[in-house]
Amino acid sequence: MTGPDRPHSPSGDGTPAPRRSPWRPRSRQGRAGPLTYLVLIGVTVVSVFPLYWTLVAATRTNAEINSVPPPMLPGGNLMKNIDLAYDQIDLTKAILNSLIVSGSIAVGTVMFCTLAGFAFAKLRFRFNNLLFGLTLGTMMIPPSLGAIPLYMMMVELGWIDHLQAVVLPTLVSAFGVFFMRQYLVEALPNELLEAGWVDGASTFRVFRSIVLPIARPAMAVLGMLVFLQAWNDFFWPILALTANNPTVQVALNNLGQGYVPDRSVIMAGTFLTTIPVIAVFILLGRQIVGGIMQGAIKG
Amino acid sequence: MRITRRMPTALVGTLAVAALSLCACGSDSDDGGGNVTLNVQLFGSFGYKESGLFDEYQKLHPNISIKFTSVQQESTYWPKIQSQLNAPTGVGDVYAAEVSRIAQVTQNQADRWVDLKTFGAGDLEADYYDWKWKAGTTADGKILGLGTDIGPLAICYRKDLFAKAGLPTDRQELAKSWTSWQAFLDLGKQYKAKAPRGSAFVDTAGGLYNAILGSSIKQYYDESGKPIHETNPAIRDAWNLGVQAAQTGLTARLKQFDEAWNKAFSSGSFASIACPSWMISYIKGQDKNGSGKWDVAPGPGVGNWGGSYLGIPKNSRHQKESYDLIRWLTAPDQQVRLFQDSGIFPASKVAASRPEVADAKDPYFGDAPVGKIFGDVAQNLPVAVHGPRDGSILDAFNNGLLSIETQKTDPDKAWKDTMKNVENLLG
Amino acid sequence: MFKARRRAGQGSAPYLFVAPFFLVFAAFGLFPILYTAWVSLHAVDLQNPNESTWVGLENYRKLFSSDFFWNALENTFTIGVISTVPQLCIALGIAHLLNYRLRGRTFFRVAMLMPYATSVAAATLVFSGLFGRDFGMINWLLGQVGVNPVDWDSGRWTSQNALSTIITWRWVGYNALIYLAGMQSVPADLYESAAIDGASRWQQFRYVTIPSLRPTILFTIVVSTIGAIQVFGEPLLFGGVSGHLGGAGRQYQTLGVLLYDEGWFNYKLGYAAAVAWTMFVIIVVAVLVNTTLARRRWRNAA
Repeated sequence: MTGPDRPHSPSGDGTPAPRRSPWRPRSRQGRAGPLTYLVLIGVTVVSVFPLYWTLVAATRTNAEINSVPPPMLPGGNLMKNIDLAYDQIDLTKAILNSLIVSGSIAVGTVMFCTLAGFAFAKLRFRFNNLLFGLTLGTMMIPPSLGAIPLYMMMVELGWIDHLQAVVLPTLVSAFGVFFMRQYLVEALPNELLEAGWVDGASTFRVFRSIVLPIARPAMAVLGMLVFLQAWNDFFWPILALTANNPTVQVALNNLGQGYVPDRSVIMAGTFLTTIPVIAVFILLGRQIVGGIMQGAIKG
Repeated sequence: MRITRRMPTALVGTLAVAALSLCACGSDSDDGGGNVTLNVQLFGSFGYKESGLFDEYQKLHPNISIKFTSVQQESTYWPKIQSQLNAPTGVGDVYAAEVSRIAQVTQNQADRWVDLKTFGAGDLEADYYDWKWKAGTTADGKILGLGTDIGPLAICYRKDLFAKAGLPTDRQELAKSWTSWQAFLDLGKQYKAKAPRGSAFVDTAGGLYNAILGSSIKQYYDESGKPIHETNPAIRDAWNLGVQAAQTGLTARLKQFDEAWNKAFSSGSFASIACPSWMISYIKGQDKNGSGKWDVAPGPGVGNWGGSYLGIPKNSRHQKESYDLIRWLTAPDQQVRLFQDSGIFPASKVAASRPEVADAKDPYFGDAPVGKIFGDVAQNLPVAVHGPRDGSILDAFNNGLLSIETQKTDPDKAWKDTMKNVENLLG
Repeated sequence: MFKARRRAGQGSAPYLFVAPFFLVFAAFGLFPILYTAWVSLHAVDLQNPNESTWVGLENYRKLFSSDFFWNALENTFTIGVISTVPQLCIALGIAHLLNYRLRGRTFFRVAMLMPYATSVAAATLVFSGLFGRDFGMINWLLGQVGVNPVDWDSGRWTSQNALSTIITWRWVGYNALIYLAGMQSVPADLYESAAIDGASRWQQFRYVTIPSLRPTILFTIVVSTIGAIQVFGEPLLFGGVSGHLGGAGRQYQTLGVLLYDEGWFNYKLGYAAAVAWTMFVIIVVAVLVNTTLARRRWRNAA
């Protein structure tokens, strides 16, 4: 529930930021001293250690984790722990479900937000400003607080325990609209649009053949951020789904709340379901960092 | 142009995959060839898997396969079942309901569970202990659950630790010395005086409280269904004994069923525990090298703790097949086997009277006559009154006692807090 | 740009472009929140969610006279403060360090963002092991320096501090990057002129960086406040079996956990809706207070 849809930017009327890649080296504060490195390394260790410990605990027996001093290197018990976790919850299904859910949400959100972002950025219509203001306003509304009527709706529709119960309510993001709009305002040259219209193309054709190609990098970044958020979403999925058809967060919730007694097994489940995001993160971390900073900088 | 053509294709592809899988999730259990997968959801240990009963059933019925999960903690398990009852079809076929939840099923959820009478369960009544059968039946005669087991109470104790503290270790002698729960605690004080370091007399105040209350006919509700948690003297007595145990340092300050408690069976953090028959196999599971250290003796009261039912939710797609399964699992032959393998005491009095049960001895517990010890209790159990929120109310009382143990909360405040918690969950 | 906008030939297209967003948002975002207020005036049983009985303001009367509500409100507030304030301060400091010319810049940034990629559930499960009373690594480390084992879960302050550690761990790197982005858009000549005026590094940070970051800081405060009011997964999973109570003595039950407990453990959906709607009002008020206070302070400072 902690910020399922954290917007990434100072809203309001901030001055447009200079057009510059956020990860280009800057030197205005000068070169970092050894103390700076030391502190940063410390912070890095604290950031990464719990994840490393997950790996250690997942590959040990419960008795080994509980020994004094605790082990610091991975052991050989991973497969057995994973087996025990599978006895309780089908983690493969959970991971597949999470891929489907997060993938659908990412694709849907990116599409809807690109459409709306383009309209707000470049099209002229009567309620443009009003509607965009409304969109920004909705960033402040925490969707999880509507969970009770939503639950009642899902019971009535017979969607409890079905993935669409999780996909549909999470399919849009005000931040996404904002993000795409800010990007397209700058990245989409008006001359190009104008040329399309002069040729007599419809707005949808212009969108397909001119806007989409240009929007692609921002769509990819937004897609990654939304995917990550959807993968980690907790509150609504644990209400709407059950252990029969879980996402990974539902599975972890069940593992952690008394499905199994052994911490090593819980950690094996945690490890297995966290690997996909961490892997994506290690591969694309640079782009994700860039996306978050871009979101923030373009206020 | 290359890009624009590819984007929609990728999109359509992803959506198609998503849509397919959305549809697929609703139809996993019937392949059209008469093969049926039954989704069985249990908590704790029912012993079915361990005794090979699921495997055997699948062999006897090749068209049936059983998908089985078990949640360690009943208090986590039951709320999950509640949301599954709100799902459309295909979530589960057989659910277990603990005795403290069965009144919720019969009083509040009769429309959510299959009336087993429609499959002929009415014929089974004579097999069961009377109170067990009645508790699974609604006022208008619907049968919503078949009893699996009951939890007649005794005391399990560590002979080695008792001996170190200079207490008697013979089960008859002990049973004679703890004629009342107060006498049990008095013995605890003797234990504490000479106990090995770090070893408490009994595991938890909550466990003790629950065992004491388990011998009372009226517990949290009266016969008319009115909650009496505040006024029932039996609750007060049990609570006061629990408080006494906590405050005199007789308890190990643990939470039942959590990791540290599990570990304490082998580490010796406590020397005795109120022990329903199903606890026998639990102890064996936690203290794998404990054979010969543990023993079991008749307890100070005649009480019951736990025991369960198997029922079928209305949103099961395979109600007949599910009924056949639970009928087989709860048949006397199977109950006898479960008792032999795991010490789970039969809810069927037919099974309990078989010599394999009645005359059983358990080598792990020093050849204690477990069949007789638990059987005597089972025969004399009172017909307790149950109410819909028994289980949650019990959790509230346990939490109240736990706060006295771990946080040194003043007992009066803990009582008041418990009352507030109970009232909150009732209304 | 204006050429493109001036073209009037777009007809209904713009509306069609924004319609999907607004339709989905209205159906699954706005409507449920508003409908929460309506549900909160009814008694709805989780065991039968399709039937509701009108009870007027009864749910609110009960809620405001319930000790558990005030307890949860207080916990939400204290957990919010002890997780948000240090989190944002540390993030600011880290951002400042990251803003130096660094080797391995990308490495540091990615590593610090790893916790953000970890789910609430995974993070809490790991940390609740680290904070274990008997076998937890944190108690083991404390033991190395002669501190007795702490029963993190059962005390009010200890448990809330453990929770704030989890929350801070997950969000610090993220906020640091937001600040870093803000810092990098501070015009370089401001630093140059400050340096010419003889400002020390600390003075530059204090008088150039911080004032330039004001909108960003306000933004993170608002977002963190909204997040803090809704804290849910951390206390729920930290408590294990008693998670739905926020610990056996409700010592860390937040409003979000209270909502879940009342709705899904006590079956009172109408009452839970009253909790949700109250949280919504609190969020609106908190955001307004945050922004006005900040605006006023800055106007005074300016």
